[in-house]
Amino acid sequence: MKSRKVLLFWCVVLGLIVIMTAFAGLFSTHAPNDMDMDKIYVPPGENHLLGTDHLGRDVFSRLLEGGKVTLTVAGVSVFLSLVIGVLYGGISGYVGGYVDVVMMRFLEALITIPSLILILAFQAFMQGGMWSMALIIGITGWLVTARIVRSEFIRLKEAEFVKMAIMFGTPVWKIIFGHMLRNSVPAIFVVTLFNFAGAVFIEVSLSFLGIGVPPAIPSWGNMLYYAQNDILIGAWWIGLFPGIMIFITILSINFIGEALKDPGRRRLNA
Amino acid sequence: MSVKWFGKRMVMGTIVLLVISFLSFFIMHLAPGDPATAFYGGNAQTLNTAEKERISRAFSLDRPVIEQYGLWLKEILQGNLGYSSKEGRPVTVILLERLPNTLLLFGVTLFFIIIGSLWLGTVAGMQKGSLWDKGLSTISIATSSIPSFWLGILFISFFSVKLGILPSSGTGEVGGDGGILDKLRHLIMPAAVIILTHTGIYARFLQESIKAETSKYYVMVAKANGVLEREIRKGVLRNASIPYLNYIGMTIPSFFGGSIIVESLFSWAGLGQLLVKAVMMKDFPLIMGGILFTGLLVVFSLFIIDLVMYAVDPKLRKGAYSR
Repeated sequence: MKSRKVLLFWCVVLGLIVIMTAFAGLFSTHAPNDMDMDKIYVPPGENHLLGTDHLGRDVFSRLLEGGKVTLTVAGVSVFLSLVIGVLYGGISGYVGGYVDVVMMRFLEALITIPSLILILAFQAFMQGGMWSMALIIGITGWLVTARIVRSEFIRLKEAEFVKMAIMFGTPVWKIIFGHMLRNSVPAIFVVTLFNFAGAVFIEVSLSFLGIGVPPAIPSWGNMLYYAQNDILIGAWWIGLFPGIMIFITILSINFIGEALKDPGRRRLNA
Repeated sequence: MSVKWFGKRMVMGTIVLLVISFLSFFIMHLAPGDPATAFYGGNAQTLNTAEKERISRAFSLDRPVIEQYGLWLKEILQGNLGYSSKEGRPVTVILLERLPNTLLLFGVTLFFIIIGSLWLGTVAGMQKGSLWDKGLSTISIATSSIPSFWLGILFISFFSVKLGILPSSGTGEVGGDGGILDKLRHLIMPAAVIILTHTGIYARFLQESIKAETSKYYVMVAKANGVLEREIRKGVLRNASIPYLNYIGMTIPSFFGGSIIVESLFSWAGLGQLLVKAVMMKDFPLIMGGILFTGLLVVFSLFIIDLVMYAVDPKLRKGAYSR
Protein backbone atom coordinates (compact mmCIF):
# COMPACT_ATOMS: atom_id res chain seq x y z
CA MET A 1 0.00 0.00 0.00
CA LYS A 2 2.91 2.29 0.72
CA SER A 3 4.08 2.30 -2.87
CA ARG A 4 0.59 3.33 -3.93
CA LYS A 5 0.82 6.46 -1.82
CA VAL A 6 4.24 7.24 -3.25
CA LEU A 7 2.83 6.86 -6.74
CA LEU A 8 -0.05 9.17 -5.91
CA PHE A 9 2.29 11.76 -4.42
CA TRP A 10 4.47 11.94 -7.52
CA CYS A 11 1.41 12.03 -9.80
CA VAL A 12 0.17 15.05 -7.87
CA VAL A 13 3.57 16.75 -8.14
CA LEU A 14 3.71 16.18 -11.87
CA GLY A 15 0.10 17.24 -12.25
CA LEU A 16 0.80 20.49 -10.41
CA ILE A 17 3.74 21.27 -12.66
CA VAL A 18 1.74 20.55 -15.79
CA ILE A 19 -1.22 22.65 -14.64
CA MET A 20 0.97 25.55 -13.47
CA THR A 21 2.79 25.68 -16.79
CA ALA A 22 -0.22 25.01 -19.00
CA PHE A 23 -2.10 27.92 -17.45
CA ALA A 24 1.02 30.03 -17.09
CA GLY A 25 -0.93 33.19 -17.81
CA LEU A 26 -3.09 32.77 -14.72
CA PHE A 27 -0.27 32.21 -12.24
CA SER A 28 2.47 34.47 -13.54
CA THR A 29 2.91 37.84 -11.89
CA HIS A 30 4.51 39.61 -14.87
CA ALA A 31 4.48 39.21 -18.63
CA PRO A 32 7.26 36.74 -19.38
CA ASN A 33 8.95 38.96 -21.96
CA ASP A 34 8.51 42.31 -20.19
CA MET A 35 11.88 43.97 -19.78
CA ASP A 36 12.60 46.43 -17.02
CA MET A 37 16.09 47.81 -17.39
CA ASP A 38 15.95 49.56 -14.01
CA LYS A 39 15.53 46.26 -12.28
CA ILE A 40 18.12 43.89 -13.64
CA TYR A 41 19.52 41.13 -11.45
CA VAL A 42 17.07 41.76 -8.63
CA PRO A 43 17.44 38.95 -6.09
CA PRO A 44 14.34 36.94 -5.11
CA GLY A 45 12.07 39.12 -3.01
CA GLU A 46 8.64 40.64 -2.66
CA ASN A 47 7.78 42.06 -6.05
CA HIS A 48 9.75 39.51 -8.01
CA LEU A 49 9.18 36.16 -6.38
CA LEU A 50 12.25 34.53 -7.89
CA GLY A 51 14.17 37.65 -8.91
CA THR A 52 14.88 39.05 -12.37
CA ASP A 53 17.38 38.21 -15.08
CA HIS A 54 19.88 40.24 -17.12
CA LEU A 55 17.12 42.11 -18.95
CA GLY A 56 14.99 42.70 -15.87
CA ARG A 57 12.48 39.99 -16.79
CA ASP A 58 10.64 38.21 -14.00
CA VAL A 59 12.20 34.78 -13.47
CA PHE A 60 9.05 33.23 -11.96
CA SER A 61 6.85 34.17 -14.91
CA ARG A 62 9.48 33.04 -17.38
CA LEU A 63 9.80 29.78 -15.47
CA LEU A 64 6.10 29.00 -15.99
CA GLU A 65 6.09 30.14 -19.62
CA GLY A 66 9.32 28.22 -20.25
CA GLY A 67 7.83 25.12 -18.74
CA LYS A 68 4.96 25.35 -21.18
CA VAL A 69 7.41 25.42 -24.09
CA THR A 70 9.60 22.63 -22.74
CA LEU A 71 6.70 20.34 -21.89
CA THR A 72 4.94 21.04 -25.19
CA VAL A 73 8.04 20.18 -27.20
CA ALA A 74 8.52 17.03 -25.14
CA GLY A 75 4.84 16.07 -25.40
CA VAL A 76 4.59 16.50 -29.15
CA SER A 77 7.85 14.69 -29.78
CA VAL A 78 6.84 11.80 -27.55
CA PHE A 79 3.53 11.46 -29.37
CA LEU A 80 5.40 11.36 -32.67
CA SER A 81 7.88 8.76 -31.46
CA LEU A 82 5.01 6.73 -30.02
CA VAL A 83 3.31 6.55 -33.42
CA ILE A 84 6.50 5.66 -35.27
CA GLY A 85 7.57 3.19 -32.60
CA VAL A 86 4.25 1.36 -32.52
CA LEU A 87 4.15 1.13 -36.30
CA TYR A 88 7.75 -0.05 -36.66
CA GLY A 89 7.68 -2.43 -33.72
CA GLY A 90 4.23 -3.69 -34.58
CA ILE A 91 5.14 -4.54 -38.15
CA SER A 92 8.40 -6.13 -37.10
CA GLY A 93 6.78 -8.19 -34.36
CA TYR A 94 3.64 -9.19 -36.23
CA VAL A 95 5.18 -10.08 -39.58
CA GLY A 96 8.24 -11.78 -38.08
CA GLY A 97 10.65 -13.87 -40.11
CA TYR A 98 13.15 -12.14 -42.36
CA VAL A 99 11.38 -8.80 -42.16
CA ASP A 100 11.79 -8.91 -38.39
CA VAL A 101 15.48 -9.80 -38.60
CA VAL A 102 16.27 -7.00 -41.04
CA MET A 103 14.21 -4.42 -39.19
CA MET A 104 15.76 -5.33 -35.85
CA ARG A 105 19.33 -5.26 -37.18
CA PHE A 106 18.66 -1.80 -38.56
CA LEU A 107 17.22 -0.76 -35.21
CA GLU A 108 20.26 -2.10 -33.36
CA ALA A 109 22.51 -0.07 -35.60
CA LEU A 110 20.47 3.06 -34.95
CA ILE A 111 20.50 2.50 -31.20
CA THR A 112 24.29 2.47 -31.27
CA ILE A 113 24.39 6.07 -32.48
CA PRO A 114 24.15 8.58 -29.64
CA SER A 115 20.77 10.18 -30.38
CA LEU A 116 22.02 13.57 -29.27
CA ILE A 117 24.56 13.50 -32.08
CA LEU A 118 21.91 12.69 -34.66
CA ILE A 119 19.83 15.54 -33.32
CA LEU A 120 22.80 17.88 -33.51
CA ALA A 121 23.26 16.94 -37.15
CA PHE A 122 19.61 17.68 -37.89
CA GLN A 123 19.80 20.93 -35.97
CA ALA A 124 22.68 22.06 -38.18
CA PHE A 125 20.30 22.84 -41.01
CA MET A 126 16.88 22.83 -39.40
CA GLN A 127 17.33 25.51 -36.78
CA GLY A 128 13.75 26.60 -36.79
CA GLY A 129 11.24 27.12 -34.04
CA MET A 130 10.05 24.81 -31.35
CA TRP A 131 7.98 22.66 -33.71
CA SER A 132 10.95 21.58 -35.74
CA MET A 133 12.67 20.74 -32.46
CA ALA A 134 9.74 18.54 -31.47
CA LEU A 135 9.86 16.91 -34.90
CA ILE A 136 13.57 16.15 -34.62
CA ILE A 137 13.33 14.76 -31.10
CA GLY A 138 10.32 12.70 -32.17
CA ILE A 139 11.92 11.09 -35.20
CA THR A 140 15.03 10.14 -33.25
CA GLY A 141 13.31 8.91 -30.09
CA TRP A 142 11.17 5.97 -31.20
CA LEU A 143 13.78 3.21 -31.01
CA VAL A 144 13.08 1.89 -27.53
CA THR A 145 9.31 2.08 -28.05
CA ALA A 146 9.64 0.01 -31.21
CA ARG A 147 11.70 -2.57 -29.36
CA ILE A 148 9.15 -2.90 -26.56
CA VAL A 149 6.18 -3.08 -28.93
CA ARG A 150 7.93 -5.75 -30.96
CA SER A 151 8.68 -7.93 -27.94
CA GLU A 152 5.13 -7.48 -26.63
CA PHE A 153 3.70 -8.46 -30.02
CA ILE A 154 5.90 -11.52 -30.24
CA ARG A 155 4.88 -12.53 -26.73
CA LEU A 156 1.19 -11.95 -27.40
CA LYS A 157 1.26 -13.74 -30.72
CA GLU A 158 1.94 -16.92 -28.78
CA ALA A 159 -0.73 -16.18 -26.15
CA GLU A 160 -3.65 -18.57 -26.08
CA PHE A 161 -6.38 -16.01 -26.55
CA VAL A 162 -4.75 -14.69 -29.70
CA LYS A 163 -4.35 -18.18 -31.11
CA MET A 164 -7.96 -18.80 -30.27
CA ALA A 165 -9.03 -15.61 -32.00
CA ILE A 166 -7.10 -16.61 -35.10
CA MET A 167 -8.77 -20.00 -34.99
CA PHE A 168 -12.20 -18.40 -34.81
CA GLY A 169 -11.40 -16.39 -37.90
CA THR A 170 -11.33 -12.96 -36.25
CA PRO A 171 -10.32 -10.28 -38.78
CA VAL A 172 -6.61 -9.44 -38.73
CA TRP A 173 -7.11 -5.78 -37.89
CA LYS A 174 -9.23 -6.76 -34.91
CA ILE A 175 -6.52 -9.08 -33.64
CA ILE A 176 -3.84 -6.43 -34.10
CA PHE A 177 -5.74 -3.59 -32.46
CA GLY A 178 -8.19 -5.28 -30.14
CA HIS A 179 -6.02 -8.09 -28.86
CA MET A 180 -2.38 -7.30 -29.30
CA LEU A 181 -2.08 -3.52 -29.20
CA ARG A 182 -4.59 -3.20 -26.41
CA ASN A 183 -2.75 -5.70 -24.26
CA SER A 184 0.59 -3.98 -24.89
CA VAL A 185 -0.73 -0.69 -23.56
CA PRO A 186 0.72 -1.02 -20.03
CA ALA A 187 4.22 -1.67 -21.37
CA ILE A 188 3.91 1.04 -24.01
CA PHE A 189 2.69 3.50 -21.40
CA VAL A 190 5.70 2.96 -19.17
CA VAL A 191 8.21 3.30 -21.99
CA THR A 192 6.42 6.42 -23.24
CA LEU A 193 6.66 7.92 -19.79
CA PHE A 194 10.41 7.37 -19.72
CA ASN A 195 10.59 8.71 -23.27
CA PHE A 196 8.90 11.86 -22.07
CA ALA A 197 11.56 12.36 -19.41
CA GLY A 198 14.19 11.75 -22.07
CA ALA A 199 12.59 14.29 -24.39
CA VAL A 200 12.56 16.93 -21.65
CA PHE A 201 16.22 16.17 -21.10
CA ILE A 202 17.06 16.57 -24.79
CA GLU A 203 15.13 19.81 -25.25
CA VAL A 204 16.78 21.26 -22.20
CA SER A 205 20.21 20.10 -23.29
CA LEU A 206 19.90 21.50 -26.80
CA SER A 207 18.52 24.83 -25.69
CA PHE A 208 21.24 24.93 -23.08
CA LEU A 209 23.85 24.53 -25.81
CA GLY A 210 22.24 27.45 -27.61
CA ILE A 211 21.06 25.40 -30.59
CA GLY A 212 17.56 24.47 -29.48
CA VAL A 213 14.49 26.62 -29.10
CA PRO A 214 15.17 30.14 -30.46
CA PRO A 215 16.31 32.58 -27.75
CA ALA A 216 13.19 34.74 -28.05
CA ILE A 217 11.00 31.93 -26.68
CA PRO A 218 11.62 31.18 -23.02
CA SER A 219 12.25 27.54 -22.19
CA TRP A 220 13.92 25.91 -19.21
CA GLY A 221 16.95 25.09 -21.30
CA ASN A 222 17.18 28.62 -22.70
CA MET A 223 17.05 30.07 -19.22
CA LEU A 224 19.93 27.87 -18.18
CA TYR A 225 21.86 28.95 -21.26
CA TYR A 226 21.83 32.56 -20.12
CA ALA A 227 22.36 31.53 -16.52
CA GLN A 228 25.85 30.33 -17.47
CA ASN A 229 27.07 33.92 -17.64
CA ASP A 230 24.86 35.24 -14.86
CA ILE A 231 26.25 32.73 -12.44
CA LEU A 232 29.77 34.08 -12.91
CA ILE A 233 28.65 37.44 -11.51
CA GLY A 234 26.86 35.77 -8.63
CA ALA A 235 23.23 35.81 -9.83
CA TRP A 236 22.57 32.26 -8.68
CA TRP A 237 18.76 32.43 -8.75
CA ILE A 238 18.54 32.57 -12.55
CA GLY A 239 20.19 29.19 -12.93
CA LEU A 240 18.93 27.50 -9.80
CA PHE A 241 15.16 27.54 -10.31
CA PRO A 242 14.85 26.26 -13.89
CA GLY A 243 17.19 23.44 -12.90
CA ILE A 244 15.05 22.58 -9.89
CA MET A 245 11.95 22.51 -12.08
CA ILE A 246 13.64 20.20 -14.59
CA PHE A 247 14.89 18.03 -11.75
CA ILE A 248 11.47 17.70 -10.09
CA THR A 249 9.72 17.04 -13.39
CA ILE A 250 12.10 14.28 -14.41
CA LEU A 251 12.20 12.91 -10.87
CA SER A 252 8.43 12.58 -10.64
CA ILE A 253 8.24 10.94 -14.06
CA ASN A 254 10.98 8.50 -13.09
CA PHE A 255 9.28 7.59 -9.81
CA ILE A 256 5.91 7.13 -11.50
CA GLY A 257 7.52 5.00 -14.19
CA GLU A 258 9.41 2.95 -11.62
CA ALA A 259 6.20 2.29 -9.66
CA LEU A 260 4.30 1.23 -12.77
CA LYS A 261 7.18 -0.84 -14.08
CA ASP A 262 6.86 -3.17 -11.11
CA PRO A 263 5.91 -6.44 -12.79
CA GLY A 264 3.61 -7.48 -9.92
CA ARG A 265 1.42 -4.53 -10.74
CA ARG A 266 1.08 -5.48 -14.38
CA ARG A 267 -2.44 -6.65 -15.01
CA LEU A 268 -1.54 -9.02 -17.72
CA ASN A 269 1.03 -11.76 -17.46
CA ALA A 270 0.25 -13.90 -20.42
CA MET B 1 32.73 -21.36 -31.79
CA SER B 2 34.52 -18.29 -30.64
CA VAL B 3 35.70 -17.41 -34.13
CA LYS B 4 32.12 -17.44 -35.31
CA TRP B 5 31.03 -15.27 -32.39
CA PHE B 6 33.74 -12.70 -33.04
CA GLY B 7 32.95 -12.76 -36.73
CA LYS B 8 29.31 -12.00 -35.99
CA ARG B 9 30.27 -9.09 -33.76
CA MET B 10 32.62 -7.69 -36.38
CA VAL B 11 29.94 -7.89 -39.08
CA MET B 12 27.46 -6.16 -36.78
CA GLY B 13 29.97 -3.42 -36.02
CA THR B 14 30.65 -2.90 -39.70
CA ILE B 15 26.93 -2.68 -40.44
CA VAL B 16 26.52 -0.11 -37.69
CA LEU B 17 29.34 1.99 -39.11
CA LEU B 18 27.86 1.75 -42.61
CA VAL B 19 24.48 2.92 -41.35
CA ILE B 20 26.12 5.79 -39.50
CA SER B 21 28.11 6.83 -42.56
CA PHE B 22 24.97 6.58 -44.67
CA LEU B 23 23.02 8.73 -42.24
CA SER B 24 25.68 11.36 -41.77
CA PHE B 25 26.08 11.65 -45.55
CA PHE B 26 22.40 11.89 -46.32
CA ILE B 27 21.51 14.19 -43.47
CA MET B 28 24.00 16.62 -44.87
CA HIS B 29 22.71 15.99 -48.35
CA LEU B 30 19.18 16.84 -47.25
CA ALA B 31 20.39 20.23 -46.11
CA PRO B 32 18.52 22.95 -47.99
CA GLY B 33 20.28 24.95 -50.70
CA ASP B 34 22.66 23.51 -53.26
CA PRO B 35 25.59 21.53 -51.86
CA ALA B 36 28.16 24.05 -53.07
CA THR B 37 26.50 26.67 -50.90
CA ALA B 38 26.32 24.26 -48.00
CA PHE B 39 30.02 23.52 -48.22
CA TYR B 40 30.97 27.16 -48.44
CA GLY B 41 28.59 28.37 -45.76
CA GLY B 42 28.28 32.11 -45.37
CA ASN B 43 30.78 32.95 -48.10
CA ALA B 44 28.59 31.40 -50.79
CA GLN B 45 26.93 34.68 -51.82
CA THR B 46 30.17 35.96 -53.25
CA LEU B 47 30.38 33.11 -55.77
CA ASN B 48 29.15 33.55 -59.34
CA THR B 49 27.58 30.83 -61.48
CA ALA B 50 30.75 29.77 -63.26
CA GLU B 51 32.61 29.44 -60.00
CA LYS B 52 29.77 27.43 -58.49
CA GLU B 53 29.88 25.06 -61.43
CA ARG B 54 33.62 24.67 -61.05
CA ILE B 55 33.20 23.87 -57.37
CA SER B 56 30.45 21.38 -58.13
CA ARG B 57 32.74 19.61 -60.56
CA ALA B 58 35.72 19.70 -58.23
CA PHE B 59 33.75 18.02 -55.45
CA SER B 60 31.88 15.70 -57.88
CA LEU B 61 28.65 17.34 -56.82
CA ASP B 62 27.25 16.99 -60.34
CA ARG B 63 27.15 13.20 -60.15
CA PRO B 64 24.19 11.11 -58.89
CA VAL B 65 23.78 10.94 -55.11
CA ILE B 66 24.60 7.25 -54.76
CA GLU B 67 27.77 7.71 -56.73
CA GLN B 68 28.70 10.65 -54.53
CA TYR B 69 28.17 8.49 -51.47
CA GLY B 70 30.38 5.78 -52.94
CA LEU B 71 33.14 8.24 -53.74
CA TRP B 72 32.86 9.76 -50.28
CA LEU B 73 33.01 6.35 -48.63
CA LYS B 74 36.07 5.43 -50.64
CA GLU B 75 37.88 8.55 -49.50
CA ILE B 76 36.89 7.91 -45.90
CA LEU B 77 38.24 4.39 -45.95
CA GLN B 78 41.56 5.93 -46.95
CA GLY B 79 41.37 8.20 -43.92
CA ASN B 80 40.42 11.34 -45.81
CA LEU B 81 37.48 13.07 -44.15
CA GLY B 82 37.81 16.23 -46.21
CA TYR B 83 38.65 19.73 -45.12
CA SER B 84 36.91 21.83 -42.50
CA SER B 85 35.09 24.59 -44.33
CA LYS B 86 35.86 27.08 -41.55
CA GLU B 87 39.42 26.23 -40.56
CA GLY B 88 40.65 24.89 -43.89
CA ARG B 89 42.59 22.13 -42.16
CA PRO B 90 41.96 18.41 -42.74
CA VAL B 91 39.06 17.15 -40.60
CA THR B 92 41.05 14.08 -39.58
CA VAL B 93 43.79 16.25 -38.07
CA ILE B 94 41.31 18.39 -36.13
CA LEU B 95 39.49 15.33 -34.80
CA LEU B 96 42.68 13.58 -33.78
CA GLU B 97 43.77 16.67 -31.84
CA ARG B 98 40.59 16.47 -29.79
CA LEU B 99 40.57 12.72 -29.34
CA PRO B 100 42.96 12.46 -26.34
CA ASN B 101 40.89 14.89 -24.25
CA THR B 102 37.65 13.04 -24.93
CA LEU B 103 39.28 9.69 -24.22
CA LEU B 104 40.73 11.05 -20.98
CA LEU B 105 37.38 12.32 -19.75
CA PHE B 106 35.58 9.21 -20.95
CA GLY B 107 38.13 6.84 -19.45
CA VAL B 108 38.36 8.55 -16.07
CA THR B 109 34.60 8.90 -15.63
CA LEU B 110 33.83 5.36 -16.79
CA PHE B 111 36.53 3.98 -14.49
CA PHE B 112 35.12 5.70 -11.41
CA ILE B 113 31.53 4.95 -12.38
CA ILE B 114 32.32 1.24 -12.67
CA ILE B 115 34.31 1.14 -9.43
CA GLY B 116 31.66 3.13 -7.56
CA SER B 117 28.68 1.23 -8.90
CA LEU B 118 30.35 -2.14 -8.33
CA TRP B 119 30.94 -1.23 -4.71
CA LEU B 120 27.56 0.37 -4.00
CA GLY B 121 25.61 -2.18 -6.00
CA THR B 122 27.27 -5.15 -4.33
CA VAL B 123 26.85 -3.76 -0.83
CA ALA B 124 23.20 -2.91 -1.43
CA GLY B 125 22.37 -6.05 -3.37
CA MET B 126 23.87 -8.45 -0.86
CA GLN B 127 21.94 -7.02 2.09
CA LYS B 128 18.40 -7.34 0.88
CA GLY B 129 15.94 -5.16 2.79
CA SER B 130 18.67 -3.20 4.58
CA LEU B 131 18.96 0.56 4.71
CA TRP B 132 21.60 0.38 1.96
CA ASP B 133 19.24 -1.52 -0.26
CA LYS B 134 16.32 0.86 0.09
CA GLY B 135 18.49 3.97 0.14
CA LEU B 136 20.25 3.15 -3.08
CA SER B 137 16.99 2.44 -4.90
CA THR B 138 15.75 5.94 -4.12
CA ILE B 139 18.99 7.88 -4.37
CA SER B 140 19.92 6.36 -7.71
CA ILE B 141 16.67 7.55 -9.26
CA ALA B 142 17.18 10.97 -7.73
CA THR B 143 20.75 11.40 -8.95
CA SER B 144 19.94 10.19 -12.43
CA SER B 145 17.18 12.81 -12.67
CA ILE B 146 19.62 15.68 -12.20
CA PRO B 147 20.62 17.25 -15.50
CA SER B 148 24.40 16.89 -15.46
CA PHE B 149 25.02 20.31 -16.95
CA TRP B 150 22.86 21.97 -14.33
CA LEU B 151 24.89 20.30 -11.62
CA GLY B 152 27.89 21.65 -13.50
CA ILE B 153 26.50 25.20 -13.33
CA LEU B 154 25.99 24.81 -9.60
CA PHE B 155 29.52 23.47 -9.23
CA ILE B 156 30.95 26.42 -11.16
CA SER B 157 29.01 28.85 -9.05
CA PHE B 158 30.25 27.22 -5.87
CA PHE B 159 33.79 26.02 -6.52
CA SER B 160 34.89 28.61 -9.08
CA VAL B 161 32.94 31.77 -8.26
CA LYS B 162 32.52 31.49 -4.51
CA LEU B 163 35.54 29.52 -3.39
CA GLY B 164 37.72 30.15 -6.43
CA ILE B 165 39.61 26.89 -6.04
CA LEU B 166 38.83 25.20 -9.36
CA PRO B 167 38.96 26.60 -12.92
CA SER B 168 35.51 27.00 -14.48
CA SER B 169 36.56 26.17 -18.03
CA GLY B 170 39.36 25.00 -20.24
CA THR B 171 41.34 21.83 -20.61
CA GLY B 172 44.78 22.66 -19.23
CA GLU B 173 48.01 21.80 -20.98
CA VAL B 174 50.27 19.06 -19.72
CA GLY B 175 53.20 20.85 -21.31
CA GLY B 176 52.13 24.24 -19.89
CA ASP B 177 53.11 25.96 -16.65
CA GLY B 178 50.99 23.82 -14.38
CA GLY B 179 52.09 20.50 -15.85
CA ILE B 180 49.98 17.42 -15.17
CA LEU B 181 48.50 18.94 -12.01
CA ASP B 182 46.93 21.72 -14.05
CA LYS B 183 45.26 19.20 -16.32
CA LEU B 184 43.94 17.30 -13.32
CA ARG B 185 42.55 20.49 -11.80
CA HIS B 186 40.62 21.13 -15.00
CA LEU B 187 39.45 17.54 -15.12
CA ILE B 188 37.98 17.40 -11.60
CA MET B 189 34.72 19.26 -12.17
CA PRO B 190 33.59 17.82 -15.51
CA ALA B 191 34.47 14.33 -14.36
CA ALA B 192 32.79 14.76 -10.97
CA VAL B 193 29.59 15.99 -12.59
CA ILE B 194 29.35 13.00 -14.89
CA ILE B 195 30.32 10.51 -12.19
CA LEU B 196 27.80 11.87 -9.67
CA THR B 197 24.89 11.79 -12.09
CA HIS B 198 25.65 8.37 -13.54
CA THR B 199 27.01 6.09 -10.80
CA GLY B 200 23.67 5.66 -9.04
CA ILE B 201 21.76 4.22 -11.95
CA TYR B 202 24.49 1.70 -12.77
CA ALA B 203 24.76 0.70 -9.12
CA ARG B 204 21.01 0.19 -9.02
CA PHE B 205 21.10 -2.05 -12.03
CA LEU B 206 23.79 -4.23 -10.47
CA GLN B 207 21.87 -4.27 -7.19
CA GLU B 208 18.70 -5.50 -8.91
CA SER B 209 20.56 -8.13 -10.83
CA ILE B 210 22.35 -9.37 -7.68
CA LYS B 211 19.02 -9.54 -5.88
CA ALA B 212 17.51 -11.52 -8.72
CA GLU B 213 20.49 -13.85 -8.72
CA THR B 214 20.51 -14.51 -4.95
CA SER B 215 16.90 -15.66 -5.03
CA LYS B 216 17.70 -18.36 -7.57
CA TYR B 217 17.58 -22.04 -6.78
CA TYR B 218 21.28 -22.78 -7.06
CA VAL B 219 22.12 -20.28 -4.32
CA MET B 220 19.68 -21.97 -1.96
CA VAL B 221 21.15 -25.38 -2.73
CA ALA B 222 24.67 -24.08 -2.23
CA LYS B 223 23.66 -22.61 1.12
CA ALA B 224 21.95 -25.83 2.18
CA ASN B 225 25.05 -27.80 1.33
CA GLY B 226 27.13 -25.50 3.50
CA VAL B 227 29.16 -23.83 0.77
CA LEU B 228 31.16 -20.94 2.20
CA GLU B 229 29.37 -17.59 2.09
CA ARG B 230 32.42 -16.11 0.38
CA GLU B 231 32.26 -18.70 -2.39
CA ILE B 232 28.55 -18.11 -2.96
CA ARG B 233 29.14 -14.40 -3.09
CA LYS B 234 31.79 -14.86 -5.76
CA GLY B 235 29.47 -16.95 -7.90
CA VAL B 236 26.52 -14.63 -7.51
CA LEU B 237 28.59 -11.57 -8.35
CA ARG B 238 30.01 -13.23 -11.41
CA ASN B 239 26.60 -14.19 -12.74
CA ALA B 240 25.08 -10.84 -11.87
CA SER B 241 27.86 -8.97 -13.64
CA ILE B 242 26.80 -10.25 -17.06
CA PRO B 243 23.54 -8.29 -17.35
CA TYR B 244 25.39 -5.40 -15.73
CA LEU B 245 28.04 -5.40 -18.44
CA ASN B 246 25.31 -5.68 -21.03
CA TYR B 247 23.66 -2.63 -19.52
CA ILE B 248 26.88 -0.62 -19.68
CA GLY B 249 27.18 -1.53 -23.33
CA MET B 250 23.61 -0.48 -23.99
CA THR B 251 24.01 2.89 -22.32
CA ILE B 252 27.36 3.84 -23.80
CA PRO B 253 25.77 5.76 -26.70
CA SER B 254 23.70 7.96 -24.38
CA PHE B 255 26.75 8.30 -22.15
CA PHE B 256 28.62 9.82 -25.09
CA GLY B 257 25.68 12.11 -25.74
CA GLY B 258 25.69 13.35 -22.18
CA SER B 259 29.40 14.07 -22.21
CA ILE B 260 28.91 16.38 -25.21
CA ILE B 261 26.99 18.81 -23.04
CA VAL B 262 29.35 18.60 -20.11
CA GLU B 263 32.30 19.17 -22.44
CA SER B 264 30.64 22.27 -23.85
CA LEU B 265 29.78 23.64 -20.42
CA PHE B 266 33.34 23.38 -19.15
CA SER B 267 34.90 24.24 -22.53
CA TRP B 268 36.67 20.90 -22.32
CA ALA B 269 38.42 20.70 -25.70
CA GLY B 270 37.04 17.31 -26.67
CA LEU B 271 35.09 15.89 -29.60
CA GLY B 272 31.72 16.83 -28.12
CA GLN B 273 32.54 20.49 -27.75
CA LEU B 274 34.01 20.48 -31.26
CA LEU B 275 30.84 18.97 -32.67
CA VAL B 276 28.61 21.55 -31.00
CA LYS B 277 30.79 24.34 -32.36
CA ALA B 278 30.74 22.78 -35.81
CA VAL B 279 26.93 22.67 -35.72
CA MET B 280 26.74 26.32 -34.73
CA MET B 281 29.16 27.35 -37.49
CA LYS B 282 27.50 25.00 -40.00
CA ASP B 283 30.84 23.42 -40.77
CA PHE B 284 29.41 20.42 -42.60
CA PRO B 285 32.55 18.38 -43.34
CA LEU B 286 33.50 18.64 -39.68
CA ILE B 287 30.02 17.58 -38.54
CA MET B 288 30.07 14.55 -40.83
CA GLY B 289 33.54 13.60 -39.68
CA GLY B 290 32.62 14.13 -36.04
CA ILE B 291 29.55 11.92 -36.29
CA LEU B 292 31.53 9.17 -37.97
CA PHE B 293 34.31 9.43 -35.43
CA THR B 294 31.93 9.24 -32.48
CA GLY B 295 30.25 6.25 -34.09
CA LEU B 296 33.63 4.61 -34.42
CA LEU B 297 34.38 5.27 -30.76
CA VAL B 298 31.05 3.80 -29.68
CA VAL B 299 31.49 0.69 -31.81
CA PHE B 300 35.01 0.27 -30.49
CA SER B 301 33.99 0.56 -26.84
CA LEU B 302 31.12 -1.85 -27.41
CA PHE B 303 33.62 -4.28 -28.83
CA ILE B 304 35.78 -3.97 -25.72
CA ILE B 305 32.77 -4.65 -23.52
CA ASP B 306 31.99 -7.69 -25.64
CA LEU B 307 35.52 -8.92 -25.02
CA VAL B 308 35.12 -8.50 -21.26
CA MET B 309 31.79 -10.29 -21.33
CA TYR B 310 33.36 -13.05 -23.30
CA ALA B 311 36.00 -13.46 -20.61
CA VAL B 312 33.47 -13.42 -17.76
CA ASP B 313 30.70 -15.55 -19.21
CA PRO B 314 31.61 -19.17 -19.87
CA LYS B 315 28.27 -19.75 -21.60
CA LEU B 316 29.31 -17.34 -24.30
CA ARG B 317 32.55 -19.21 -24.82
CA LYS B 318 30.70 -22.51 -25.15
CA GLY B 319 28.39 -20.92 -27.68
CA ALA B 320 25.20 -21.29 -25.69
CA TYR B 321 23.72 -18.08 -27.05
CA SER B 322 24.40 -18.64 -30.71
CA ARG B 323 21.20 -18.80 -32.64
